[in-house]
Amino acid sequence: MLPIDAAAHSSRWRRRHPCEKAVLGLGLTLCAVSLPAWPGAPLVAAATLAVLLGPAGVAPRGLWRAFRIPLGFCVTGAVPLLFQVGGAGGFVSLAPDGPVHAGQLLLRTSAASLGVLLFAFTTPVSDVLPRLVRAGVPAPVVDVALVMYRIGFLLLDTVARVRQAQAARLGLAGRAATWRSLAGLAATSFVRAFDRAARLQSGLAGRGYDGTLRVLVPRAEISRPFLAATGALLAGLVALTLVLERFLS
Amino acid sequence: MHIAEGYLPPVHAAAWSVAAAPFVIHGVRALNREVKAHPESTLLLGASGAFTFVLSALKIPSVTGSCSHPTGTGLGAILFRPPIMTVLGTITLLFQALLLAHGGLTTLGANAFSMAIVGPWAGYGVYRLLRRSGVPLMVSVFFGAFVADLSTYCVTSVQLALAFPDPSSGFLGALAKFGGIFAVTQIPLAVSEGLLTVLVMRLLIQSSKGELTRLGVLLSGGRGAKDATGTEGTTAATGAAGEQDGTKEAVAR
Repeated sequence: MLPIDAAAHSSRWRRRHPCEKAVLGLGLTLCAVSLPAWPGAPLVAAATLAVLLGPAGVAPRGLWRAFRIPLGFCVTGAVPLLFQVGGAGGFVSLAPDGPVHAGQLLLRTSAASLGVLLFAFTTPVSDVLPRLVRAGVPAPVVDVALVMYRIGFLLLDTVARVRQAQAARLGLAGRAATWRSLAGLAATSFVRAFDRAARLQSGLAGRGYDGTLRVLVPRAEISRPFLAATGALLAGLVALTLVLERFLS
Repeated sequence: MHIAEGYLPPVHAAAWSVAAAPFVIHGVRALNREVKAHPESTLLLGASGAFTFVLSALKIPSVTGSCSHPTGTGLGAILFRPPIMTVLGTITLLFQALLLAHGGLTTLGANAFSMAIVGPWAGYGVYRLLRRSGVPLMVSVFFGAFVADLSTYCVTSVQLALAFPDPSSGFLGALAKFGGIFAVTQIPLAVSEGLLTVLVMRLLIQSSKGELTRLGVLLSGGRGAKDATGTEGTTAATGAAGEQDGTKEAVAR
């Protein structure tokens, strides 16, 4: 299992309705993207971190491990804004407002990533997918996504084991061996995926499979107080950002 | 290659989602038709999607000394065709955003446009064009994967340049800047992905002929099968598989 999904399955908010967590997490993300980066993004990031580490009970170590991936992309993505092409300074020179734009981008992407992580760390994908049918996503697409989700983890385990075995047999010792091993790994994944699909099909056919995958979804009621608190938090963040922006400018 | 969460301004994120929507809807319709006609396809398509997800998680060595991962869009488009690949690619991007913190939800439309739409269609187009011209299978597979990978990065460069035009030289300067940065790593990576895809296809032809036939990549030439372009399928001369083991096969598409 992937660390984020494992954390979501054992989350304190696991039994909460995914809709509540989507409104909170994605609402914070939209605030981070839409509000002025300064001071909006730091405020959104602080609020998201407070929710993640407080009521949601996400382990700081796990959160940092997951967050450093998008953070790395944010940093490398902000670097090009420091430079400009052409102009009086030569072919490539430092952009006059480069540090400001790069800083704003870094703040915005960091805050937005934390919002998505809040949703991902508290909501297993398996809780979300079956409910998408009610949201209007065609059932066959949801079924394919469900199968992808379930087979994907098994395939990732297989890939990790095959790679370990290849390394133990010096399959990664040189460049040529690495290419051979990688090709074998990808081909093995293909064969295993289709083999598993065929066996799943046989098993389901024996149980009267009619093309629809029915899964049990844990029942959860949408909590109005939770939604009200979320609305208040988002409205407060918007108001505080706009007030502070005027004050700071 | 994935545009990170929050990287694009809201208007750009929305515009790319709108641009991607017709292709995704077209793919969903194709998938719906397939599942209605063959209910058992759900599992096969799920397995295909899982394979795409895993393929994008493989690390391949880069010429610059670092590692990166293939987009998998070229191989996916050749195996499953672009409309289906659009849906599978979009779901894969959604899983990557939620399970790996890779990419994002507000940038899902932009990422889907580059990786699940332009990449597969461009790669598949080149593959089909070369096959129609009588180019050998493995050469066509290489260029299909190469173009799919490279076009993905070209579109990503355009997306970034539109979002962040250069203060001095505008869109073109920004395109040169982002394209230049990507070119250092992505041209070698596109070559790497092309080579890897050829190796994978060779192994698949050896080990999974049944699945490739079911997917329509290979046809039995001995029965005078027609390929997807409507031309008469030939025998072993058109397919590397047939050349390898002496069986009569033709490459369907």
